[in-house]
Amino acid sequence: MGANLSEMLADLQENQVIEAVKERLAKGEPAIGIIDELQHGMELVGTRYQAQEYYLSELIMSADIFKSATGLLGDAFKASGEKIGKIVLGTVFEDIHDIGKDIVSIILSCNGIDVIDLGVNVPIERFVEAVRQHKPDFVGLSCLLTTAYDNMKATVEALDAAGLHEGRKILIGGGPVDETTRAYVKADAFCKNAQEAADMAKKMLGVN
Amino acid sequence: MAQASDLYDERLQRIKTAVALAKPDRVPCVPLGDSFAAKLVGEKLSVFCTGRPEAAYKTMIRAFTSLGEIDGIQHAGFDANMLSTIWLSKVRMPGVDLPEDNLWQVEEQELMKPEDYDVIIKDGWQKFTDDFWLNKLDNLGARVQPFFASMPAAMQAWKDLGIVPFSPVIVTIPYEYFCGARSMREFIKDLYRRPDKVQEAMDVVMPVLVEQARQLARGLNLHGLWVGGWRSASEFLSRPLWERFVFPYYKQIVEALVDEGAIPVLHWDSNWTRDLEYLLQFPKAKCVFSPDGATDIFKAKEVLGDHMCIMGDVPAEMLALATPEKVTEYCKRLISEIGPSGFILAQGCDIPPNAKPENVRAMIASVHQ
Ligand code: B12
Repeated sequence: MGANLSEMLADLQENQVIEAVKERLAKGEPAIGIIDELQHGMELVGTRYQAQEYYLSELIMSADIFKSATGLLGDAFKASGEKIGKIVLGTVFEDIHDIGKDIVSIILSCNGIDVIDLGVNVPIERFVEAVRQHKPDFVGLSCLLTTAYDNMKATVEALDAAGLHEGRKILIGGGPVDETTRAYVKADAFCKNAQEAADMAKKMLGVN
Repeated sequence: MAQASDLYDERLQRIKTAVALAKPDRVPCVPLGDSFAAKLVGEKLSVFCTGRPEAAYKTMIRAFTSLGEIDGIQHAGFDANMLSTIWLSKVRMPGVDLPEDNLWQVEEQELMKPEDYDVIIKDGWQKFTDDFWLNKLDNLGARVQPFFASMPAAMQAWKDLGIVPFSPVIVTIPYEYFCGARSMREFIKDLYRRPDKVQEAMDVVMPVLVEQARQLARGLNLHGLWVGGWRSASEFLSRPLWERFVFPYYKQIVEALVDEGAIPVLHWDSNWTRDLEYLLQFPKAKCVFSPDGATDIFKAKEVLGDHMCIMGDVPAEMLALATPEKVTEYCKRLISEIGPSGFILAQGCDIPPNAKPENVRAMIASVHQ
C-alpha cells in the first residue's frame, strides 16, 4: 500500500494519487505518513529525470500533482516533519522565468527545507525585507537572463550592506548561470539543478 | 545594377549548392541580426522595434552592409509584434512598457483557456485566431499589417544590393501557438490531462497552417522559410510526448514546403540533440537544420551530414563576450568540420544586441579567408 502512492505519483497518475490521498485521510491516517510517501514519489521522479527517462514535461506534471496532493493535507504539510532549514527564494528583478524556480521550491520542500517563495521579478528591497523578517539559512536567487545578472549582483550587495549576508549562504541558479556568474555576483554557491540545490543545502547545514 | 544582380545570382547559387549538400566555391554566410543592427547604427530599440517597418529594414541594411560581404540575410525586416503572431502572447515594448533601450519581451500569460480547444475544434483556427488577435492581443492585426505590407519592398531592397533575403517568413506547428497562448506550464499539463483534446485541436489547425505556408511560399516567391521550433524542443519533452505532439506536425509542414519548391529552414532553438535521427525522415538535400548553439552541432553533422545542410551556430555568448580571434577560431572549425560541403555559416538563433561588432565582422570574414 505504502510504496503504491509513491509509485502512482512517480507514474504521474494524477487522479489515482488524489483519490488515494482522500481515501486515506478519510480513514483517519496521519498526514505525516502520506507526506513521506509523496516525497518519496518525487525522489523517484528525480531519479528518472537523471536517467533521462523523464524530462521537463514530467517535472512540471509531477510538481503539480504533488502540490494538489499536499494541498489536501492542509497545514499538515507545512508543519510536517522537522525542518532542517529555511530558504527565501525568488527570481531576480526584471526576470519572470519561474518554471525552474518552482521546481527548486518543491524539491527543497521535499528535502525538509522550509521555502518562502517571493515569486518573480522580485525587487531588491523585497529580498532584503524578507530575509530580515524570516531569518533564513539560505537566500536563493533564480536568474535566466544574462541581462539581469547585475540585478542579482545588486541584490547580493544590498544583503551585504544590510549586514544580512552574514551567517547565511546565498545560492544562485537558472539556465545560463555558472561558476563565472557566481564569482561575478559574489554569491556563495551555484547549483546546476534542483537536486544539486538540495544536496548543497544539506551539505551546508551539515546533514545527510 | 547589373553587377548587383550578378552578385545575387552567384550568392544564391552558393547557398543552393550548400543546401543540395554539394561543395560551393566557398562556404556561404547568411546571418541575422535585428536588435543588433539597431544598436550598431545607434538607434534606440524603442524606435527600431515596431511600427516603422520600412525604417527597420533600412536600419538592418545599413548595419549589414558595413560588416563585410555576406551572401544572404535570414530575415528581410523586423517588427516585434510578429512575435505575438507566433506565440499568441503579448510583447512588452521598449519605450512603452520597458525602458527605451531594453530588448522587447514576450509576456507569457494564460490567455487561452482549456475550453478554447473545443472552440478551435468547433469554429476552426481562422475564426479562433481572428477573435484572439482582436480581443486578447489588442487588435494585433492592425499592428502587424504595416509589416506584412512592407515585405515585398524589403525583400527587393536586399536583392537590389545583391544580398539574398533567404528565409524572410516564419511558420511553425500548432504546438508553438498553443504553448504560448496557454503558457508553457499549463500547456505541458494539458498534454497529460487532456491529450486527446489537444491532439484533436492540433489536427484541426494543421491543414490551415500547411495551406498558409504554401501560399506564403508561392505568393512571395520565397527561396526559404523558417520552420521555427522553440518550446517544442526535445530537451523540454519526454520522447513519447515529442513523438506524438511535435514531430508529425513538423514532418507535414516540411513536406508541403518542399513540395512547393521552397527550402524549410529548421530554425530550432534549445537542445534537440536527442531526436536528430528523426530528421532523416525529411526529404534529403532539401532542408536546412539551423540550431542555436544548444544542440550539439558536431553530433548533428554526424547524424545528418549526408542528409541535410546545416547552418549555424556561433553562439550568442561568444559574439557578446569573446574576442575576434576566438570567433575566427570557432568559425574555422565549423567550416572545416561541419563544412565545407552542406554548410552555411551563421550565428546561433539571432545576433544578440550586445554582440561586439568586431566579433560579427570576424564571423563574416571567416568564410573569405
Ligand atoms: C520558457 C521560457 C520562457 C517563458 C517563461 C515562462 C515561465 N513562466 O518561466 C517566456 C516565454 C515568458 C520567456 C520570456 C523571455 N525569455 Co525565455 N526562455 C524560456 C526557455 C525556453 C526555458 C526556460 C525554462 O523554464 N527551463 C526549464 C527549467 C526547469 O530550467 P531552469 O530554469 O534552468 O531551472 C533549473 C536549474 O537552472 C536550477 N535553478 C533554477 N533556478 C534556481 C535557483 C536557485 C537558487 C538554484 C540553487 C537553482 C536554480 O534548477 C532548475 C531545475 O533543475 C529558455 C530556453 C532554455 N533553453 O533554457 C528561454 C530563455 C531563458 N529566455 C530567454 C530570453 C531572452 C527571454 C526573453 C527576454 C525573450 C523575449 N525577448 O521576449 C523573455 C524575458 C522575459 C523576462 N522579463 O524574464 C533566453 C535568455 C538568454 C540569456 N542568456 O540571457 C533563453 C535562454 C532563450 C534563448 N536561447 O535565447 N522565456
